[in-house]
Amino acid sequence: MQSSVSDPKQSGGYGRLFVGLLALFALVGIQGCATHSEGFRSIEQQAAARNIPGAIKALDEFHKTDMTSAHQTLKHLNRGSLLRMQADYTASNAEFDAAKGLMDKLSAISVVEQVGSGVVNDSVKAYTGDGNEQLLVYAFKSLNYLQLGDFDAAAVEARQFDIKHRLITEKYPEAKFLSGAFVRYLNGMVYEGVGEMDSARIEYTKALEGYESESKFTCCGAPAALKTDLSRIELKSPTRRGKSSSRDQAQSSATEDKGEVVFFLHNGLGPSLGENIIQLPNPQPSHGSALLRIALPKFVERPTPVTRMEISSGAQSARSEVVEDINALARKSLEARLPGIQARAVLRLVAKNAIAAEAKKQSRSASAGSQAGALMSLFGAAMDIANIVSEKADTRTWSLLPGNIQLARLNLPPGSHDLKVTYYGANGTLLSTREFKGVQVGPARKTFISDYYL
Amino acid sequence: MSSKYQVWVLAAAVAAVGLSGCATQVKRVGVEEVKDLSGAWNDTDSRLVSEEMIRDSLSGGWLKRHRSAHKNEPVVIVSSVRNLSHEHINTRTFVNDLERAYVNSGDVRVVASKNERENVRSERSDMDLHGREETRKEMGKETGADYMLMGSINTIIDASGREQVRFYQVDLTLVNLTNNEKVWTGQKKLKKEVQNAKFRF
Repeated sequence: MQSSVSDPKQSGGYGRLFVGLLALFALVGIQGCATHSEGFRSIEQQAAARNIPGAIKALDEFHKTDMTSAHQTLKHLNRGSLLRMQADYTASNAEFDAAKGLMDKLSAISVVEQVGSGVVNDSVKAYTGDGNEQLLVYAFKSLNYLQLGDFDAAAVEARQFDIKHRLITEKYPEAKFLSGAFVRYLNGMVYEGVGEMDSARIEYTKALEGYESESKFTCCGAPAALKTDLSRIELKSPTRRGKSSSRDQAQSSATEDKGEVVFFLHNGLGPSLGENIIQLPNPQPSHGSALLRIALPKFVERPTPVTRMEISSGAQSARSEVVEDINALARKSLEARLPGIQARAVLRLVAKNAIAAEAKKQSRSASAGSQAGALMSLFGAAMDIANIVSEKADTRTWSLLPGNIQLARLNLPPGSHDLKVTYYGANGTLLSTREFKGVQVGPARKTFISDYYL
Repeated sequence: MSSKYQVWVLAAAVAAVGLSGCATQVKRVGVEEVKDLSGAWNDTDSRLVSEEMIRDSLSGGWLKRHRSAHKNEPVVIVSSVRNLSHEHINTRTFVNDLERAYVNSGDVRVVASKNERENVRSERSDMDLHGREETRKEMGKETGADYMLMGSINTIIDASGREQVRFYQVDLTLVNLTNNEKVWTGQKKLKKEVQNAKFRF
């Protein structure tokens, strides 16, 4: 009969190896004590000062110290946003494309990352963006193509979005906040632009439904312009054409002979995540970590400076509507993810405590006063520190998303126009005025323009 | 084997695996070698489309009918192939293959497309200003096309979880520029099943 008693020397070796591996994980996990959102401030400040090259440089510096590729998707998303602010739409799309590729690739489960997340923190896992961020990439890529005048390429994004949205809602059937209403509204305009009227009608209808389901937790319901679009496009459908009045049809065709400026404002900065730390001293510090600690992300909403904007050209003007309340959707997304994050944090606490207990047990079993004993005592103390320092909330988020997106649409006759855009803050205070000269408007075509205000 | 030795062997194996991914490796492969990486449209799909379209187009009845009616080779201009698919696809690859096959066959003549024409005309204008008189080319001597080649690429994608079925349909049409009659239509269908990985390192 074989003895089941393990060799204490050998088990001590495995224990040290295990603890060593944990230390390696911890080193990766604790690089830089500041949370992700804290380290990102200077990039946001540069962007707010409209120093985009400076912000890109700061972003690259920020990611220079990354020891793993866990933050690559985030880097591409934020670079894509900055390049879009810089109106370098082709380069911006290359970044968003890279982010999309990574989101798909990284959706497969990594055993190493799961273990890392179980014993270090959630930041060890590769960032893939939450559902809403994954959907918004399609909108920004599409907007980039529209601003490059490539409607066919924007339509490709619209078709891809439809598949992605189906897959996401299949995975999270309860997540009503993932309706993608804004992206569908934009896609409706894209499909109209390429002459796919049936697809446009379907997108407008789904957008309207999405806005209605989101309205319980966002600032605003469906934009009035969307309802007008839907009525207009339904007038054109073969089944409705005969039923609509001749006055409606004449009005619709008069509007269409004109072109339209579609102006998007990326307003303020979107959500940031802070850290909620819950900690208490361990009543039995010799049998585990000295301090029991869990860190959870908390939602930090940042102000959206522009309450409304007005675009005008000559005597014609139009006011904006909020078409995407990114802050509200991100808050809802975090609320939905939080139970899972909390469960993982508790499991991690149990695992870290068990590892610390094992390290301390090893140090007690090593002969007192010996060199090995002293080393193991040091190890036990180091484990206490590592457990505290490595427990960080995953505060990574696509920080350069706007807080909300506003849209204003202005019908103009074909030709070249000078546009004036005025931004108003709380209580109607004038924030800023910007001019866009020589905007080309084509007959029965939409011209897409965007700006940002941080 | 002692536990210390086991640890060293393990560390060496991990290092070997890790270092193998450090250097960029490039190797030449045959253009006909099939290599599917992501499941998206790739060079193999483009080649399959061009092979089918060339075979079908050059053996089509439209060529014989044109020859017997006009006693000359038909002149074709390539218009656009609209991408109505779910992917950003470069349609120029198989269209260029088809153009090349037309020209090299000697049975079909091809004239420059809209964008190419603008470049050629600009060159001719420049020549008018800077070229020696005996080498200048006159304006107004371009060959008009008899037929226009146009088409579209469409996809249907059915996706659930990690599985996708991708269906591509490429349609090309030759339209008689005199009477809008479609004299040839070519079609190629491709279907792929893509299974994305569930686990990664």
